[in-house]
Amino acid sequence: MTANAIDLPQGTLDLLILRTLALGPEHGWAISERIHQVSSQVLQIHQGSLYPALHRLERRGWIKATWGASENNRRAKFYELTKAGRKQLETEKDEWKKLIAAVAQVLETV
Amino acid sequence: MLSDVLMRLRALFRRKAVEGEMNDELKFHFEQHVKKLIEAGMPREAAQRQARLEFGGDDQIKEECREARGLNLLETFGQDIRYGLRTLRKAPGFTAVAILTLALGIGANTAIFSYVNAWMIKPLPYPHVDRLVILLSHDKKKGGTGDSVSSTADFCDYQAQGSPSFDALVPYTSWYFNLTGDGPPDRILGGLVGWNFFQTLGAHPMLGRTFLQQEAQPALSHVAIISRGLWESRFAADPQIIGRAVTIQGETYSIVGVMPADFQYPLMGVANMWAPLALDDKQRSDRETSWFQAFGRMKPGVTQQQAGAELSAFTDRLEKLYPLSNTNQTMVLSPMLFEIGKNEGAREVLACFWIVGLVLLIACANVANLMLARASRRTKEFALRGTLGASRGRLIRQLLTESLLLFIAGGAAGTLFGLWGVHWIESSIPDRIRGYIVNYGRANLDLTTLSYTFGIAVLCGIVFGLAPAFGSSGVDLNRSLREASGQIPGSRLARRLRSTFVAGEIALAVVVLICTVLLVRDSIRSIYGDLGFQPHNLMVTQLAASPTKYKTPAAIRSFHDEVLTRVQALPEASSADTSQYLPFSESNQVKVIHIVGRPPAEPGEELGAEYSAITSGYFHTMQIPVIRGRAIESGDGPDSQKVAVINETLMHQQFAKQDPIGQQLEVGDSKDLVTIVGVVHDVKLFSLTDRPMREMYVSAAQFPSGDMSIVARSDRPTADLANEIRSAVWSVDPDQPVSLVRAMDDVITERNTGERVLAQMLVFFGVLALLLGAIGIYGVTAHSVQQRVHEIGIRMALGASSSQVMRMIVGQGLKLALVGIACGLFVAVGAARAMASILENVKPSDPVTFLAVPSFFLIVALAACYIPARRGAHVDPMVALKYE
Repeated sequence: MTANAIDLPQGTLDLLILRTLALGPEHGWAISERIHQVSSQVLQIHQGSLYPALHRLERRGWIKATWGASENNRRAKFYELTKAGRKQLETEKDEWKKLIAAVAQVLETV
Repeated sequence: MLSDVLMRLRALFRRKAVEGEMNDELKFHFEQHVKKLIEAGMPREAAQRQARLEFGGDDQIKEECREARGLNLLETFGQDIRYGLRTLRKAPGFTAVAILTLALGIGANTAIFSYVNAWMIKPLPYPHVDRLVILLSHDKKKGGTGDSVSSTADFCDYQAQGSPSFDALVPYTSWYFNLTGDGPPDRILGGLVGWNFFQTLGAHPMLGRTFLQQEAQPALSHVAIISRGLWESRFAADPQIIGRAVTIQGETYSIVGVMPADFQYPLMGVANMWAPLALDDKQRSDRETSWFQAFGRMKPGVTQQQAGAELSAFTDRLEKLYPLSNTNQTMVLSPMLFEIGKNEGAREVLACFWIVGLVLLIACANVANLMLARASRRTKEFALRGTLGASRGRLIRQLLTESLLLFIAGGAAGTLFGLWGVHWIESSIPDRIRGYIVNYGRANLDLTTLSYTFGIAVLCGIVFGLAPAFGSSGVDLNRSLREASGQIPGSRLARRLRSTFVAGEIALAVVVLICTVLLVRDSIRSIYGDLGFQPHNLMVTQLAASPTKYKTPAAIRSFHDEVLTRVQALPEASSADTSQYLPFSESNQVKVIHIVGRPPAEPGEELGAEYSAITSGYFHTMQIPVIRGRAIESGDGPDSQKVAVINETLMHQQFAKQDPIGQQLEVGDSKDLVTIVGVVHDVKLFSLTDRPMREMYVSAAQFPSGDMSIVARSDRPTADLANEIRSAVWSVDPDQPVSLVRAMDDVITERNTGERVLAQMLVFFGVLALLLGAIGIYGVTAHSVQQRVHEIGIRMALGASSSQVMRMIVGQGLKLALVGIACGLFVAVGAARAMASILENVKPSDPVTFLAVPSFFLIVALAACYIPARRGAHVDPMVALKYE
């Protein structure tokens, strides 16, 4: 675990997964790696939260899973965004922005 | 939504595939991670170790994935059941005690509910019973309601005018038929009924037909319908019975139909024969007397209120037309079901229903307590499962499943126990009184009852399973794992729950016990008590002299004299006498009396007295003590002065300041003048709960009657006497029906059946409640001692004596018991008040009950605490401290 890793606030994991998958189908490991890299090594998604989250999103119908070959030709489970998932991503993005703005405003004024 | 369902279904039916995919996915992730670490320069082995460390519990991730996929609902339910069955099998003692406790509680409820079902939910096998109402005469001024119509003419007029509210109106009355020819003469109880009686109820004959409209005319009314029982016993189930001629009251009737075994009209009691109630013109215009009852079937959509309003408008018109006879006379309606319930002790059954409900609650609390105690011993197991990835919800579900399994098994065992209970109740009802009891006293163990049984089992399983589930699943995992060696008394919540359950259980047990003791005391007082006569070794025979054969009073008298002489001559009979009416028989007569010399009574304020004509030795044979004056004597013949003997109640009410001896009474409509010559002890005529009634006796030689009953006393119990009496009667008149030659003790026992069965059941429920309460308090005390062995050891090591330890443990148990008893008493006061209407002989606040029950309970609680306390006091401090 990296020293500067921080805990994810409740509910943000789903948003990060959806955002990552918006770029194209990806398997679980790649999702966690990408989030790790893009966040400049700050966010580390633990498997213990990643897979339950993926299964939960799949059940809600926001992502769907297919088995395919990985870059080194191993069998891997790829997740991709569904139409409903794309819509959900937009909603959650908006909500997140609102939340950030509101929190920032409170922090600055108080 | 759809993806949700699909995933769940896939998870359920393709379990292996789904699990395999999950494994593959996690394995892929693991390998990718290892690969990354190796690429970063780590040796393979170190990389694998590092990855495994980071990965954490594989099983926990899988469990969470399963949960996230929603694989759990049905899938884990199956797992829970399998696991639950396994745990229950591993604790056979606990399982057996819990199932037995529940079986007793649920079984008692099943048995009682099957009667509630038979009597209150589906009481009559007829269509649209809610449209059947009874017509009852009602006095607007005095407010009294009789059980028959206001008068024959009133009813006939109402029937003739074609009421807009009723489809049909049906008169009926109980009747005796003297059946002769084809075997020994018999007196058959049955009814005279309107021609449309069976059609209106909606009952169909198994053979032949019901009555026709023209058979309501006296000239055409010599037809009869018989019961299946009579058809089998008397006519050998003759398939050619229809059209067969029989002799009834000396006249020829032809049998037109046979009713099936389950036909019943409970308001008429036992009935084996029915003939049309045919009224002649004179009866049709009689506005003074009413000798039959009537029911009506309301038209569909008509409410009882509408029909009642219409009926009372009609009687108002009659009141104007016939002011002499009909002033203040009207008729009111009452639902047939209500009238039946009134006769059937429905309130007692309902009281039982509540009581067994409470007993079940006690049983449930006991089982919940057992589960809590067991759960506290399983903290280690739960902690382990928790660390292996089971969520709290999953643990709660697991415990709930175990509880449901227990309760459903208890329900199944309870059904068997209930069957036995129903069988016991059914077989305690004598055949002769079945006719009065809805459904002939049979319970209704149908789908409704079974649904009720399993409904309560499941409901209680959930409600009482929730508490242990929450109480023990909420334990702190780390703490429990550290403390799991069993010394720590479980979670605080669980402990508090256990105490609450026990206190509540004791409170309920006190309520049940007080209610049952009140009811049992009430029943005992109405079973055993002073009857006013001595019923042992007394044989009773009803005798009705046929009016077509014995036409004059002299003929009747000589017939009775002859029979009595022969019965008196029987070697088995030490004495024998006759009376027109007997206590606990099915008939009685009240006559209006007037004391000569007093002002005439206001209309409606006349004195009535239970009346009977007796032979001279009657008081001697019955052992009714004569208090003043003399008994009726053989000298009181037809030509001497007419005499009467009155009872104490009549004397106290009317002759408080005057010696009754020598006073004269005018008796009945014929105003027969009699002189009072003696006073006898009060006699209970109907039941031990009778309020004091005015009673009077006259000499049978002076007032002969066609209906007489013989009472014969023997010195010892004998069955031969009955046959001897029968032969003696037939030796005088071979055509004379001799019904009901029976021992007076049997008659009374039969009368008390309801009270007896009720009392026996209540004793059982009360003992059950007491036992369960005692087990509850014992269980909790024993459990707390077991959990505190360590603490007790320390206390003793620090110098506490055994008696101090004992006092401490008993004190804690007693505190619970006292709280429970106090709450129970509080509730019991209310419960007893609610039962006031069925307590005839004890006050709802009966001090004996309210003192005895709590004291007794306290003793039981003390004993239940003492046993585990003694064990606690004998704890060896060294052993206890090393226990860990």
